[in-house]
Amino acid sequence: MNWALDFYNYRIVEQYLDRFAEGLENTLMAAAVSLVAAVILGTMVALCRMSTRAILWRPAAGYVAFILATPLLVQIYLIYYGLPSLIPATGRWSELTLGIIALSLHNAAYMSEIVRGGIASVPRGQIEGGKAVGMSYLQRLRYIVLPQAFANTLPPLLGQTAVLIKDTSLLSIIAVFDFLSAGLLLNSERVRPNESFLTIALGYLAIYIVMLGLSWAVRRWLAGPAWNAV
Amino acid sequence: MQHYFDVIAAILPFLWAGFVQTFWVSLVAIAAGSVLGFLIGVARSQRIPLLHQLFGLYIHILRGTPFLVQLYVFYFVLPNTGIEALQWSSETAAFVSLSVYTSSYVAEIVMAAIDTVPAGQWEAATALGLKRLPILGLVVLPQALKLTVPPMSGVYVNIIKNTAILSVIGISELTRQGEISIMRFPSDVLFIYGVIALVYFVYCYPVLRFTRWAERKVGGTRVVNLD
Repeated sequence: MNWALDFYNYRIVEQYLDRFAEGLENTLMAAAVSLVAAVILGTMVALCRMSTRAILWRPAAGYVAFILATPLLVQIYLIYYGLPSLIPATGRWSELTLGIIALSLHNAAYMSEIVRGGIASVPRGQIEGGKAVGMSYLQRLRYIVLPQAFANTLPPLLGQTAVLIKDTSLLSIIAVFDFLSAGLLLNSERVRPNESFLTIALGYLAIYIVMLGLSWAVRRWLAGPAWNAV
Repeated sequence: MQHYFDVIAAILPFLWAGFVQTFWVSLVAIAAGSVLGFLIGVARSQRIPLLHQLFGLYIHILRGTPFLVQLYVFYFVLPNTGIEALQWSSETAAFVSLSVYTSSYVAEIVMAAIDTVPAGQWEAATALGLKRLPILGLVVLPQALKLTVPPMSGVYVNIIKNTAILSVIGISELTRQGEISIMRFPSDVLFIYGVIALVYFVYCYPVLRFTRWAERKVGGTRVVNLD
């Protein structure tokens, strides 16, 4: 048993349990808030992106291209260090707030691509049918396009959520006390890399398994009703 | 305006050195990761019991943890085992972790592409008396590899972007060079990070466009207007 304790001493991890819990709470909070913000923002970006008006779709396309072609870490730095020099009031905001803003803006672009794919999967005849019975743009969106797009959006949206949770680990670099930071703290105080980094890896794996189960359940649920069968 | 030109002129040599480093790390990781991932993907597609599940676990572990955590494991945990061969420099740790991370994505793509090739192709080739490896090499892979091009280039964009994370263990790539430049010009943080973002954009955007183009070539996506 001694060699196992040498490799991974769970008692050290036990001492840091509340720190890990605190970090996990911040991680999940950052993920949840930026997920909601990204879905709302992403839907708006997707609608602009699909407009025929150049003043709407060009900025949306540029925004998506910029986010997709630059690293998240650089985007986080841009928001964390750059935003206060544009808007001085944001300098007082916490690292967590600025990190959530960066994650939301980053994921909004990915969500917009997912929503756009979902909307594109709705057959053209459905929209024309809505027009033929005299529905307005918003009515077509509410009653025809979005309900059908939803079913095709949910599986990739869950996949992106799993990526989003993993991406919150980058917030540790701008001094947010997230789940990874709890492990870094353990390592800097006790110099026990195994206990700190393997615990973190296991924690993220546990979250990933929950997400896998969720996406499995959703796929079963979506395969249920006949309206989804084409 | 003159100030910004001066800053650019001062930091340009550093950014260039950083870009060269980013370019090489990403290229080497993409090459090594693709070879490793290709082998794993082909092996998994054969559904050999145990081997299939074992590599499945490998892929899930790599996909279920953030790359930053994997980097820390390769950089801090492996040297801690006390094995001489695992006492890696930060360059080796960066290169190995990025390659292993790449391989998990490539393996899934290659297996999915091989699975797309109709079973009739296998059966016909078997009927002609070919063995497993010649079927793979002569019949299945030539059809499957075409399908891997769009998702593969999507993964490559991801790998290029992930090289930015290597800055945390002190690889002097583009992002790290930017941090160093900001120590010299602390008041131009936004400008310098903007320039760095632009450099990444110039590197990644053509690959991204190629992905879109290849997607249209291989499978058809429709363009839809809501208005």
